Amino acid sequence: MTYFADKHPLLADIFSRYPDSPQGRRSALMPLLREVQNAEGFVSEARMREIADLCGTTATEVRSVMSFYSTYHTLPTGRYHLQVCSTLMCALAGSDELWDHLVSVLDVQPGDVSADGRFSVQKVECLGSCGTAPVVQLGDEGYYENVTRQKCDRLIAALRQDAPPPPDNPVPVTVREDGRQMTAAGERVGASIHDRKPLPAGGDR
Amino acid sequence: MKVTIDGIPVDLPAGTSALDAVFHAGRDVPYFCAHPYLSPVGACRMCLVEAGTPRKGKDGAFELDEATGQPKIFWMPKPMASCTLQATEGMHIRTAKTSDVVAKAQAGMMEFTLLNHPLDCPTCDKGGACELQDRAFEYGYGASRYGFDRRHADKHYALSDFIILDQERCIHCKRCVRYFEEVPGQEVLDFIERGGHTFIDTEEGGLPVGFQGNIADICPVGALLDNVARFRGRNWEYDHTPTTCTLCPVGCSITVDARNGRLERVVAGEHRDVNEVWICDAGRFGHVFATEERLTVPLVRVGGELREATWDQAIEAMRQGFSGHGSNVGLYLSADSTLEEGAALVALAEAVGTPSRDHWPRYPHTPMSTATLTDVATADALVVLGADLGEEAPVVELRILEALRGGLLPAEFAHGTAIADLRLTERPARTPEKLAVIGRESRLWRHAGLRVPAEGPDLLARLARPDTPDLQAALRLLEEAEKPVLILGADVLNGADTAFSAALSGLAGRVGAKVLVIPAGPNSRGLGGLNLVPGAGGLPYGRLGEVGAAFLSRLDPAAQGLPGRARGFTVVHDTHLTATAQGADVVLPAVTNYEKRGTTVNLEGRLLPLAQAPLRAGEGADLIRALVAVAEALGVRSPVRGLRGAQAWLEARYGLRLAELPAGGRLQPPRPPQDAATGLAHAPQLWKPRMLPRPERRGSGVPGREARAERWELPLAPAPQPGGDD
Ligand code: SF4
Ligand code: SF4
Ligand code: FES
Ligand code: FES
Repeated sequence: MTYFADKHPLLADIFSRYPDSPQGRRSALMPLLREVQNAEGFVSEARMREIADLCGTTATEVRSVMSFYSTYHTLPTGRYHLQVCSTLMCALAGSDELWDHLVSVLDVQPGDVSADGRFSVQKVECLGSCGTAPVVQLGDEGYYENVTRQKCDRLIAALRQDAPPPPDNPVPVTVREDGRQMTAAGERVGASIHDRKPLPAGGDR
Repeated sequence: MKVTIDGIPVDLPAGTSALDAVFHAGRDVPYFCAHPYLSPVGACRMCLVEAGTPRKGKDGAFELDEATGQPKIFWMPKPMASCTLQATEGMHIRTAKTSDVVAKAQAGMMEFTLLNHPLDCPTCDKGGACELQDRAFEYGYGASRYGFDRRHADKHYALSDFIILDQERCIHCKRCVRYFEEVPGQEVLDFIERGGHTFIDTEEGGLPVGFQGNIADICPVGALLDNVARFRGRNWEYDHTPTTCTLCPVGCSITVDARNGRLERVVAGEHRDVNEVWICDAGRFGHVFATEERLTVPLVRVGGELREATWDQAIEAMRQGFSGHGSNVGLYLSADSTLEEGAALVALAEAVGTPSRDHWPRYPHTPMSTATLTDVATADALVVLGADLGEEAPVVELRILEALRGGLLPAEFAHGTAIADLRLTERPARTPEKLAVIGRESRLWRHAGLRVPAEGPDLLARLARPDTPDLQAALRLLEEAEKPVLILGADVLNGADTAFSAALSGLAGRVGAKVLVIPAGPNSRGLGGLNLVPGAGGLPYGRLGEVGAAFLSRLDPAAQGLPGRARGFTVVHDTHLTATAQGADVVLPAVTNYEKRGTTVNLEGRLLPLAQAPLRAGEGADLIRALVAVAEALGVRSPVRGLRGAQAWLEARYGLRLAELPAGGRLQPPRPPQDAATGLAHAPQLWKPRMLPRPERRGSGVPGREARAERWELPLAPAPQPGGDD
């Protein structure tokens, strides 16, 4: 069955956030992707096609958009999805070596899940925490910073015990279900989707 | 608008891009992502220039430079991408020639572009005709500072049967992606991943056949390659012959690349009025028959079996065969033959005195076209009636889609077509409501605002007096438009007669529409006016079985399920041993249209020249020369014995001057075609079976694995075991 077949209210809600035009329909691409990713942990090819039909575009287009973001996955991930920043600052601080160490110790390659179902790894672009390079992000939880070899080994050992240490920093800004953002300090900022008011006819003057 | 480039003042129309301004001034700037028929997007950053404009002060007057008293130029702080920068009044532009900043910026950009480029020019099909190679030589540093390994990716990634992508070579100019989106309107290709990992891919399980081959032409590097031509030759080894495609009545401009007498590749040529720079996949990939399994010597039936013979023996056999049939001889030719060949056939028919002459395919009656392809592209309403353009005239489909995105014809400058036309935008707004398609379902349906499923020859009458709301809407579309065009195809033309033409011009006159009629054959528009239909008492092509003796040029009725032989004696002139040729008494080797000089007439009535590519054809002869042999066998002297004779005949008879036709041809209203019943319905088919590439048929001369095994393995020897250095 298709994912959205029995979710008409949700679809109606998502599409209502955008203008009722071909371009507007395309804009719904991101929330639809996020919905599937959150629910299933990855977006399969069948789901890409389904989203493409909903948005009036092609699966190629959907894959192109989603592959731009490292937070969407085309394959299932492990329980602990480790994202290693490989952009310049982290690279200068040894992220290449960190990566090599990680994949050889965990014996897992990008796209795979380790045999115990725990680990998957991914190289990502700058996580915006260059001052504490090298940085590893765990799932959507947060950042481990200044990851030296010892710290990496401790982290792996803890994860093998299913006792992930608290991240040095939670992910800086998270988006809540209602569209409101929350900073790492727990402060809620921005508007919720429930505060939306229709735009005045003829544009916002 | 006055613009100064490197100190050279030029006068330009408003809206010109800085890139075109530079070329118009005779200067050069390197570019990869800009393309004359695609939107400029500024993706490659290679076309950097320095630009500055004068500025008006508070008093409305230009601020002046104190030293010179001239308007002061305020230079932009950084080099700008000239393809997306609009030239403005008084702008000054500096290229690499006068600006060190630009030269350094371009060399730096080139370094970035080459950072992950594999530099496998020695094995790359694009080598020698590669924009990256040329520009790196002209604008790069000439040395690499990167000693490390480059990005590795799939080098033989098949996007489809026809297009192979080398992911390492792609420089992410996005031309191919924009092409699919903007031209055929199919979003089937896109960037996947990001940054240095970006590659081109499709999620549709392959590229749609139709117009995919064009991406091999526009890719500035060797990333997208024509799989039919891949590894068949280097660019400097090919003999390039610019000519006209005669697979359908559009008559696209193409360049035929031959090597060692083999046709290896067809690439699109530019013809602003016909195909712009796009051709269809049949025109590009369907050329393999010109090289495969060609007939190279005459064949004569001896003792029930076709044997190789000389032309003299063939003439002798024809003399015997034709004798006793008098003027009861039918002469038939394929409707993709040139005007000159048609003239030779008519001249011979007149000399013999036979009324049985015909060309195929044709309709019993073909109404005249009044629209050009440019009219189609700039129309504000289009109604397509009973046509499957994908089979009949593919490029017309592209011109229709052009009209739906605004019909913006690119501007022309001293250097040719505008390279960066700023009016073209990515994801152009489309107006499907301007297109109504009436007929059977076809590829064009997706793009039409109004689709009316219908069939049968009475569609025109029903459109003129609509009996359904849909047809009423289609008629209203025509009535309310300023420049409507009505396009007619096989489904309505098969039953056309003079009354149909009258009804058509009545309707067209009433709504003020121009008409584009798609003729049945590639040159039936031209041949139709040459008295090439059966005269009084003559038999049409469909009744070949009733004539006494017949000569058929490049027609294969047996494969169509028609009688393949005349009653008595049959001569077939063809490039291949077709089903009909196999049943003939004498077979003469012919040449393909890639190897001919002559003239064809496209669907607009445009005279277009054919040129001769150097292909190996053995003793193959074009129709004019073959008819000289036939005339000799018939004991008559044909007044047309060569190309020039044919052109002189056409000039004397019809006032057609073909000798000094310019390269782009000439629009000249063709002679109205003569009517004659055909007794057959024409079913258009673009891809003929022999056009499909079958690699194993291509015969490179290198024996395949099986052939090698057969030659070297002893019978009963055990199968080779994999392993060792095998
Ligand atoms: S494949 Fe060729 S045309 Fe397409 S983006 Fe890459 S370099 Fe450009
Ligand atoms: S559209 Fe017609 S003329 Fe043009 S390339 Fe295709 S077959 Fe040839
Ligand atoms: S480079 Fe790693 S966080 Fe910015
Ligand atoms: S940025 Fe590519 S041509 Fe201008």
